[in-house]
Amino acid sequence: MGAYVIRRIGQMVPTLAGVMLLIFVLFNTVGGDPALVLAGKITNKEQIENIRKQLGVDQPYHVQLGYFAFEVATGFTCTWRSFTAKPEAPKSDGKAEAKADPKVDAKADPKAAAKQAQPSGCQAVRSWATNEEVPMILATRIGPTLTIMIPVLVLETILAVLLAIGVAYLRGTLTDRMIMAICTVAMSISFLVYIIVAQYYFGFKWGMFPVQGWSDSFIKNLLTYAPLPIMLAIFVGLAPALRLYRSFFLDEINNDYVRTARAKGLSENKVMLKHVMRNAMIPIITNVGIALPSVFVGSFLLETFFSIPGLGREILVAVNRSDFPVIKAATIYLAILTMVINLAVDVLYKAIDPRVQFK
Amino acid sequence: MSAVMPTTSAAPLHQLSPGLWTLAWRRLRKDRVGMVSLVIVGFFLLLILGSYTGLVAKDWSKEVGVSYANPTFMAGAENLEAKQAGAKQTKSEVPYVDLSDIDPLAPKYEEWAKRTAEIKITEVQRAETLPFGGDKWGRDVIQKAIKGAETSIMVGLVAAFLATVIGTILGAISGYMGGRVGDFLEWFYNIFTSIPYILLILAFAAVFQSSPALAEYKGIPMVVAILAFTGWTGIYRLVRAEYIKHASREYVKAAQAIGASHSRRMFVHILPNVSHVCLVQLSQHVVQFIKAEVILSFLGLGVPVDSVSWGTMLAEAQSELVIGKWWQLVAASISMAVLVTAFSMLTDSLRDALDPKIK
Amino acid sequence: MDKLLEVSNLDVKFRLDGGSIFDAVKGISFDIPRNATVALVGESGSGKSVSAMSIVRLLPAEQAIISPKSKISFNGTDLLTLPDADMRQIRGKDISVIFQEPMTSLNPVFTCGDQISEVLRLHMGMTPKQAWARAEELMNEVGIPNPKLRMQSYPHEMSGGQQQRVMIAMAIACEPKLLIADEPTTALDVTIQKQILDLIAKLQQSHHMSVLFITHDLAVVGEIADQVVVMQHGEIKESGEVRQIFEAPQHPYTKALLACRPNVESRPRRLPVIEDFMSEAGLRPEHHEQRRRGYEANDDIVLEVRNLSKLFQLKDGLFKKREVAAVKGASFKLARGKTLGLVGESGSGKTTVGLTLMRLHSASGGEVLFDGVDLLKLSEKEMMKYKRRIQIVFQNPYASLNPRFTVGQILLEPMKIHSIGKNEQERVQMAMALLKRVGMPEVSFYKYPHEFSGGQRQRIAIARCLTMKPDVLICDESVSALDVSVQAQVLNLLQDLQDEYRMSYIFISHDLAVVKYISDQVMVMSNGEVVEVANADDIYLNPQQEYTRKLLGSIPKGWDGAKAA
Repeated sequence: MGAYVIRRIGQMVPTLAGVMLLIFVLFNTVGGDPALVLAGKITNKEQIENIRKQLGVDQPYHVQLGYFAFEVATGFTCTWRSFTAKPEAPKSDGKAEAKADPKVDAKADPKAAAKQAQPSGCQAVRSWATNEEVPMILATRIGPTLTIMIPVLVLETILAVLLAIGVAYLRGTLTDRMIMAICTVAMSISFLVYIIVAQYYFGFKWGMFPVQGWSDSFIKNLLTYAPLPIMLAIFVGLAPALRLYRSFFLDEINNDYVRTARAKGLSENKVMLKHVMRNAMIPIITNVGIALPSVFVGSFLLETFFSIPGLGREILVAVNRSDFPVIKAATIYLAILTMVINLAVDVLYKAIDPRVQFK
Repeated sequence: MSAVMPTTSAAPLHQLSPGLWTLAWRRLRKDRVGMVSLVIVGFFLLLILGSYTGLVAKDWSKEVGVSYANPTFMAGAENLEAKQAGAKQTKSEVPYVDLSDIDPLAPKYEEWAKRTAEIKITEVQRAETLPFGGDKWGRDVIQKAIKGAETSIMVGLVAAFLATVIGTILGAISGYMGGRVGDFLEWFYNIFTSIPYILLILAFAAVFQSSPALAEYKGIPMVVAILAFTGWTGIYRLVRAEYIKHASREYVKAAQAIGASHSRRMFVHILPNVSHVCLVQLSQHVVQFIKAEVILSFLGLGVPVDSVSWGTMLAEAQSELVIGKWWQLVAASISMAVLVTAFSMLTDSLRDALDPKIK
Repeated sequence: MDKLLEVSNLDVKFRLDGGSIFDAVKGISFDIPRNATVALVGESGSGKSVSAMSIVRLLPAEQAIISPKSKISFNGTDLLTLPDADMRQIRGKDISVIFQEPMTSLNPVFTCGDQISEVLRLHMGMTPKQAWARAEELMNEVGIPNPKLRMQSYPHEMSGGQQQRVMIAMAIACEPKLLIADEPTTALDVTIQKQILDLIAKLQQSHHMSVLFITHDLAVVGEIADQVVVMQHGEIKESGEVRQIFEAPQHPYTKALLACRPNVESRPRRLPVIEDFMSEAGLRPEHHEQRRRGYEANDDIVLEVRNLSKLFQLKDGLFKKREVAAVKGASFKLARGKTLGLVGESGSGKTTVGLTLMRLHSASGGEVLFDGVDLLKLSEKEMMKYKRRIQIVFQNPYASLNPRFTVGQILLEPMKIHSIGKNEQERVQMAMALLKRVGMPEVSFYKYPHEFSGGQRQRIAIARCLTMKPDVLICDESVSALDVSVQAQVLNLLQDLQDEYRMSYIFISHDLAVVKYISDQVMVMSNGEVVEVANADDIYLNPQQEYTRKLLGSIPKGWDGAKAA
């Protein structure tokens, strides 16, 4: 197993390199000149030149790629520029950056200036919009996202598995077909509609839950702000999960070993709950494994509607503001996380599927 | 069927037996749910063809009614907004929308307000009620929903078609060739799948939106491109697996034995045997992409504000609901839900009809 | 004799997709005496498995309709009207079943020990500990070496033969009165088949149970059955004592089944087929005259293979690669107009030899001399003109024809690729003529493969090869998937074509009787190595190698074997 894990980690290197390349190509070439994006409405040529220098985009592509690789390697906690810079950073750069984005809060300005004036060393990559350190942004936003998404994932999986066994048991009956039809219809209504309507009725009109908001207390968040978004996410996620898991159960039911189990004289319940269940759990766990990385992105729609300061909302804000450093960092972080989760799921397989061999 | 006389003459008797496609069609014909879904989908396709050619919903952008004109069936309801129209912006009445910093529409409000004001002057005669109500500018909601359907369905169809083509070609090459080429494509695939899907879409959206080079393609072509470039991976994986399976089948080996070239084996022999998988995937992705387009447009990352899609309608409807104007929400939600339900059920029926296992 | 099970008027219909009804079993009646083995014999679609599954009520409830007139009485109780809960008490305890595919019939995620002890806990009221201990004894009894360790093994860690032994252990665990064995040896190699048959026969005696043995192969039946029931198209054609069935069969179908299958003892010029028994004319002299076979000194050698080897590379551990030799230095000669038989068990490398010498796999070493030219050294382009001269017919008739092509397209394609025939018209004519030659009506030209039976598809596959007039035809288990009666027809066709076109065959099969019948020379392979090559009669009468003797000893000999014993 050790050898397997090591080889899999080895295989991640080219994939990660590819992700970096994709991100670099997207943001540094397809997206146009990053300096112009950052400059926004500034048209002063000199200033733009300055920004270009600041960002390092005056360099040839391979050098820029090198800068980016360095940032990735340090987890965006250190830019190549700050790493190599002389103790005193040129002040004009700071100004240019601060001015660069018109959307920057006035409050952020002095802060940024103050930070710039600090003695140099390693400096984290900063948001173009708020000048906050990107690793800090992502670290502070992950909490609210997980507060919503972990309960969603756990409850939804349990509910979907239980219901799926039920409908698989009733396969072919009218009840089964009705439930499947309801699922199809439920899946056809946009998530947006569910959120808009639920927020209007449960929050605005009937006042059962706060319309939106978030606090600093985890308990308060979980008990007052989170329930409505959590229930919405489960409600919307249940139909597709139920359909999928039902198909996993049905795939298993047609296997020869089920016939053997019946030939042994086992009751239908035992056949389903022991023999079929154990086999169907394999694709179900795969599926949960696939869904896991997107938990960390959270449901950006829910976070947006309910003003939850989570990762999804942050990324969406960054997209709307063309705040490239945040998007780039989030993408790289989550790609690494996805790869690690995939590896963990594959290792977990061994525990549930004895046929799996680490090759 | 008429009897076919055996003959030694070379004149081909074009009395071919039904092929697998014909048989699948016969099975589909017997599937009542499938046929009803097909009729509904066909109706929508005709409708959008009509709206595309200007036969229906030509005047969707004409402001024919008063602001928030009541639906005809509730003509008596009070319409405060119509009375106040022009005198005051309704925007301030939206109590909870704290989206100011991220609301993609924010910069547009001013422009709309101006436009509303201009129109006020040139306005001649406006209807008090419209069949299913009017929007803020007094546009007919039914016509808007039809035009919105055109945009959303077009985006879904074209993007799904492109994604299927990309996924099929890459999957075919990777699955059939294997070896170095296969490894390279697997690497490429791994890059795309190690980034959570939502994040991938947002990253592409961020870059495409800000790219000056792509500025002229903003709107529908850009949404199509974003969805197609990020959505091919699932199809790739399936097609690749099918190609691996078929490449080792005896009929392909037999083709190799008689000297058929690689391209002949790939496209003449295997492709028709895999095409049903592609068709079902195409159909599934249309549904998926229509839903994605609605969300993207809602967030302001999709079609531009001056055109209409179900997504932009929902975006407007969110604030309308609070002031009790529910018709735009209902029109967009219902029309979308009907189409998507029908399309999903058609997909299921299609899969059943095409899947040789069901025989 | 005391009857354990009485089946009377069993009638089973299946609801098919699209509303049609298929009569699977048409009102059959038969008995199973206590402490005896009854064999239910029939070809595919005869309804034999459906009948057996009706006894334990394991037919898919949504599709199967059992007529209310049917009755299955077991020890005096009617199984068909028994409540589900009572039926479950009988299943696995009084009546147990073993199936054809041991690999898929065992649950892959539970250990063998779990699966055997489960049934003991269920029916014998044992504690987990007792059940485990008893399961271990059972593993020992069915001949699994090192049972203590094997209890912890998962099914995929065992060979097919051992998996079937686990199934048997599970089936006999509760001392059933009736064991239903549904083609239990069909998926196994011939030497393993022999062992499993012996085991079932032994257990039948020692556990005093009755066995209902379902098979398509009469030869297997002779040695283990007391009574035989022959089924065709859902009806019983004949039933009786095993001696009577083999020595004095009454029904033409039974006679045909006995005569269609080639046996090691005789080699008629032509194999009789069912029609010969059904028709007025009866058997002709050619069905009795013997054919002489064997290489002779003055044979013209068309293909010579020297030291052919094939390595497969497997990934193993970190960056390591392991090489597995599928074929290790095989050498043989093929004479014009003669047949070389290639026999061996699964994994012996016999199929790889065939695929490698025609370059469907790349060889790892050796020479393939065809008319003096080494095919392995040719470029892809130079190989083109040799491709049409060596052709292959595969095993699975359902997979070897492209389902999206009409038979016409299938036949025209090779001619187009190799520019055979002046124009389309001539090619169509040639294809039509070939269809006729392989015994297919010309209308087939316009049909799709799914409209044909397995035997017909195999004829089409043969016609496809014939379009190129090959010198060498490789038959890779080409008749193995066919019912015996159809198998005889295809073997006759192959023989006729060889006589007519003087083609050389490489006939690959695991079935030693068929190979003996069709081959001039036989090559025995095991684990990638050639064990023995000799003329067919010599190898069967006078095997030189231990492995060959073991293989030959495992051939089911039907009634002759039973008589000898």
